[in-house]
Amino acid sequence: MSSFAKHAAVIVVVHLLITVLATVSTSAAVPDPVEQMRPVVDRIVRILTDPSLQGDDQCGKRRKMVMAAIRERFDFREMSKRVLGRQWRKLSEDEKQTFTGLFTTLLEHAYIGKIEDYSRQKVEFKGRRIKKNKAQVETVLVDGNVTIPVSYIMILKDNQWFAYDIVVENVSLVRNYMEQFSEIIRKNGFDSLVERMRVRIKELEAGSGKPCPTKTSISADRKGS
Amino acid sequence: MILRNRLSTGAAALFFLLLLWQAPAFAGEEGVDFLSDDFYEYDLDDPELADPLEPLNRVVFQFNDTMYIWVLEPVATFYSHAVPLDLRECVNNFFRNLEEPVRFVNTLFQGRLADAGKVLARFLLNSTLGVYGLGDAATRVFDVPPVEATLGETLAHWGVGDGFYLVVPLYGSSTLRDFTGTIVDGFGMTPYYTWTDDIYLMGGVYVGKETSKLSMHLGEYDELKKVLFDPYISFRNAYFQYRNKLRDHPPAGPDNTLPESATD
Repeated sequence: MSSFAKHAAVIVVVHLLITVLATVSTSAAVPDPVEQMRPVVDRIVRILTDPSLQGDDQCGKRRKMVMAAIRERFDFREMSKRVLGRQWRKLSEDEKQTFTGLFTTLLEHAYIGKIEDYSRQKVEFKGRRIKKNKAQVETVLVDGNVTIPVSYIMILKDNQWFAYDIVVENVSLVRNYMEQFSEIIRKNGFDSLVERMRVRIKELEAGSGKPCPTKTSISADRKGS
Repeated sequence: MILRNRLSTGAAALFFLLLLWQAPAFAGEEGVDFLSDDFYEYDLDDPELADPLEPLNRVVFQFNDTMYIWVLEPVATFYSHAVPLDLRECVNNFFRNLEEPVRFVNTLFQGRLADAGKVLARFLLNSTLGVYGLGDAATRVFDVPPVEATLGETLAHWGVGDGFYLVVPLYGSSTLRDFTGTIVDGFGMTPYYTWTDDIYLMGGVYVGKETSKLSMHLGEYDELKKVLFDPYISFRNAYFQYRNKLRDHPPAGPDNTLPESATD
């Protein structure tokens, strides 16, 4: 076989492979982000409404379980990367890990209490939009006659969808923090931001005194999720 | 006297408008796509967040903050306990209905004819079947949801720039253009002020309603501030993001929910 024919054959095979792989990866059907998000939400609701996990003495355990569920479907590194924008690329791997850790802890302290507050409301899944490896899962929080639209922005990795942003009433959490952080970085540098995050986490851990607020009742009237 | 006041306020508004024609248009007002990485990349130093009055705005922000904690929040709490939810809704519907003619004119100026029809239909339905607009029959019975349209948006449509970000005492986030529009839109309501004595009472209730709409419980607001690194910047950013949503009018289509599965 001439070298030309050999090359041609190789090229043909490679092309075939690529086509096959491409069709396999697309026809292996992108998993449905809603179907992956829903069980996590359901699980969190179950934890929050589990009678054996009620009460302040169970609070620590309850939160640990909720956080574990959240970590399954949230990619905090992706989130951190976007929160820092251009700054992210300038960081060493160590710095990236430090920041991701701090930001995760911060969000944990900031919002896990909120989740408990909202556990009395209903979550309804409204739809999804998929664009290449990104997806937007739309839900609404229903509280009486008030509905709050909440979207999860997700990325596909190894057939699994992971959320990296939460958009409430069109306000992106990541973008909001990004703007606060970039101001600090611009004025005082990245190290100063890290320092402030550390201080803030300490304040949140110690200052509040009652990391687990008193919750009298969390009823299980949620449906539609 | 009243006429003179109105004229001078009108002149001031006109002056602001003229000023605004010179102002740079804000970038990034077109629809936002959260699925595009550009959304998380675009330069934060660009004039989108023109805030030359930042030092002054921060002072007003602090003032509003204090007012919120010491005045508005207690008022809102009192109001929500004193006035039953049904009545609060009626009052809100009533005032929303009075604003519909202003909204109608704005939709026309923005070339949103379908929305103009909706606003007109809402006004007619609610003024009659809704009993002077106390009920929202249009949404509940006829499935014509509320439409948003302000003069600020009309001006944006015609190329008037935002000017700059403005924190207005007791009012909150706005921009020079939008707040000017709010004042002028308010003039559209003046014919009603002579209508009836009851309007003062209802006005009072309405203020309570507006207050309670914004209200989180004191504890929640405090908690929120604890997890923010710069509440001023956070609120400013949230204002612009939220406004994008109010002004994102999907072209036609009965609702704006996401399609069940739109893959591309």
